[in-house]
Amino acid sequence: MSQRVFITGFGLISSIGRNKEENLQSLLHRRCGFGDLDILDTIHHKTLPSCEIKLNDHELCEAAGVSQGKGFTRTTLLGLIALNEAIRSANLSLSEVQQAGLLSSTTTGGIREFEQYFYNLLDIKQTGEFEQFTDTANPGEHVERMADHLGIKKYIGTISTACSSSANAIMQGTQLIKSNKLDCVICGGTEALSKFTLNGFNSLMIIDPKHCRPFDISRNGLNLGEGAAYLVLESETIVNQKKKKPIAEVKGYGNANDAFHQTASSPEGTGALHAMKGALSLGGITPENVDYINAHGTATENNDLSEGIGIQRLFGENVPDFSSTKPYTGHTLAAAGSIEAAYCLLALQHQTIWPSLNFNNQMPELNISPVKELKHKVLKNVLSNSFGFGGNTSSLLFGLV
Amino acid sequence: MEYFINGVGIISPQKTFDNDVFLNDISVYPNNVLRCITPDFKNFINPIQLRRLSRMLRIGLTASKICLTDANIDRPTGIITATGYGFLEETEKFLTELLERREKQLTPTYFMQGTYNALAGLVALSMKCTGYNNTFVSKGFAFENALQDAMLQLADDPGGNFLVGAFDEAASVQYKTGMRDKYYKSEWVQNLDLFESKTIGTLQGEGAAFFNIATYPSPRTWCQLTDLKMVYSPTDAKELSEELKSFLTVNNITPNAVDVWINGVSGDIERDYLLTNIENSVLQKTPQLRHKHLSGEYCTAVSFALWLGASILKKQFIPDVVKVPTLAFPQVLETVLIINQYMSKNYSFLLLKRH
Repeated sequence: MSQRVFITGFGLISSIGRNKEENLQSLLHRRCGFGDLDILDTIHHKTLPSCEIKLNDHELCEAAGVSQGKGFTRTTLLGLIALNEAIRSANLSLSEVQQAGLLSSTTTGGIREFEQYFYNLLDIKQTGEFEQFTDTANPGEHVERMADHLGIKKYIGTISTACSSSANAIMQGTQLIKSNKLDCVICGGTEALSKFTLNGFNSLMIIDPKHCRPFDISRNGLNLGEGAAYLVLESETIVNQKKKKPIAEVKGYGNANDAFHQTASSPEGTGALHAMKGALSLGGITPENVDYINAHGTATENNDLSEGIGIQRLFGENVPDFSSTKPYTGHTLAAAGSIEAAYCLLALQHQTIWPSLNFNNQMPELNISPVKELKHKVLKNVLSNSFGFGGNTSSLLFGLV
Repeated sequence: MEYFINGVGIISPQKTFDNDVFLNDISVYPNNVLRCITPDFKNFINPIQLRRLSRMLRIGLTASKICLTDANIDRPTGIITATGYGFLEETEKFLTELLERREKQLTPTYFMQGTYNALAGLVALSMKCTGYNNTFVSKGFAFENALQDAMLQLADDPGGNFLVGAFDEAASVQYKTGMRDKYYKSEWVQNLDLFESKTIGTLQGEGAAFFNIATYPSPRTWCQLTDLKMVYSPTDAKELSEELKSFLTVNNITPNAVDVWINGVSGDIERDYLLTNIENSVLQKTPQLRHKHLSGEYCTAVSFALWLGASILKKQFIPDVVKVPTLAFPQVLETVLIINQYMSKNYSFLLLKRH
């Protein structure tokens, strides 16, 4: 018998807050994380402003509770901070944590430390403090370190599908529970800003040096961000047994591929359409019962067009309220899916739609536009989109129980 | 639910790209790095595309196409890939340019081709497959996670079939940093002598392997994938052997009823400790095969073991080069157990049955 899957807790850190409450307040008061880079050492610190978490690695160690910890990269530390909050939020005991699965995602693992010590690490004759970061080019390294720190052994995994990574981690966690493989999975993603990523996206010419403007005719690229978020998923059986009150249910999920171009989305929004359709059909929900879409909305010319067309194709004349929260947090890449899933949960908890900031002028290719102001309304089912390079498109459907 | 492997495509440090031959021409290496023996890519990839692809993308795409042809299908329902370090050569190139040019005048090619999901995207693009697409990068569990994922997707879509692939390249960055953890041998060991070396470290290998997996058999079926389990960071030999016994019990099979097991020892005197213990206890009376002297060691080397197990079940033949000849081998091969280890941290069991 397949299990229903409930969300019993979550935690997050982003440039607009170090925990759920701070993120909520920022969302309510239109506070964004966009600004000069102060912590990352890059020549672009003023020319490519981003959404940076204003804590140095020492402060992150303290916040993550590993003040003596060695080898913890910024990616791992951000992950641990969000993980710890998620575990507290779901009231998991130590033994429950240790019996849980852990699925995380990243686009570049600990490349931030690896790029910093690159020449030292490759010169075998050199020794020193930097050796704690020897294996940080490996994307799975952060998950093993977090699992070791928390004592999780039961099931671990790392997913990397570019900007849709953590949506896929949540989907995978859901399926592991649904099929009775596990009772509890903590899943999400973590992403630290790095020179590697900043320069990579810059070389693709899709970073806007100004504050990003999703779905606006003048949109000119994305802003990068950093952060982490994890959801605690538990099976129906366990939730009933413990008499827990879940925050929401994972009602559906869809994963597809655009199969159009290595780094661009199709103008027809094929992948987006398939992913959203998949999520709705699994959830047994018709399009008119979707109350809000948290769009991927990166503010690149290509994404917003493709996603917008995909939304119009699925919802026709009755497109639900939608917005992109990327102007708040920047594009946090592998963490975006789980951070935005957390924003969907906050939306359900507070029956509020977060505004799409910086939207002023309609795109001529679309006949829909995002919600510009904070909006209170009855929300039962919300959809969260995450799309990435390689044609990866994923959509998650969360609903009140 | 039952799972069948209905197609295979593998490029490895041995000549494995031709499914009609089976380890009859063994490659011996003059150093500790084992690199892929590749087919003529022009037979698989058009020349314009070929020029644009990195070596590993060529290898991966070709392996996926061999698999698809072997499975005799036009397009899978979905594509799942697995890698430990991804395209580290491309990542290194972008990183080196970035550091040398001080973040100026960079071109995106290496950055794009270094993305972990670049192969899954490329395969989807080449097969026009708009279905499920995922990539696991869980170090020594990446391929096991991907197989598990295929099983989960088949539970939602029992009529589907998934292309599940592993790839890892013998990147120099990984070799150099790996030397810091004594992960590779400091003295040269010829690959066929790997298990006689009795020193710390292993040989660096690489490969790309794709498998077509469905809930139904086909005329091409290689074997059945009965079950799989991962064991993370077991504290001692007892924990691992208990996990193994319970895995076998769940699958209604005794250790002695396993016809052959594939031992994932990597020739590392320290890190092989737990598998050596299994060899001398639970599976003492079960004949074994080894493969890391042929494939070298890499995060997804278990994919080579899966190909080996599938091959002996389909062909009912075991090449001498993989046999540990201390025990007699059965004439009929029905059940194969794979036990892999990576870095003595990631352990896994895979159970295969003849179809």
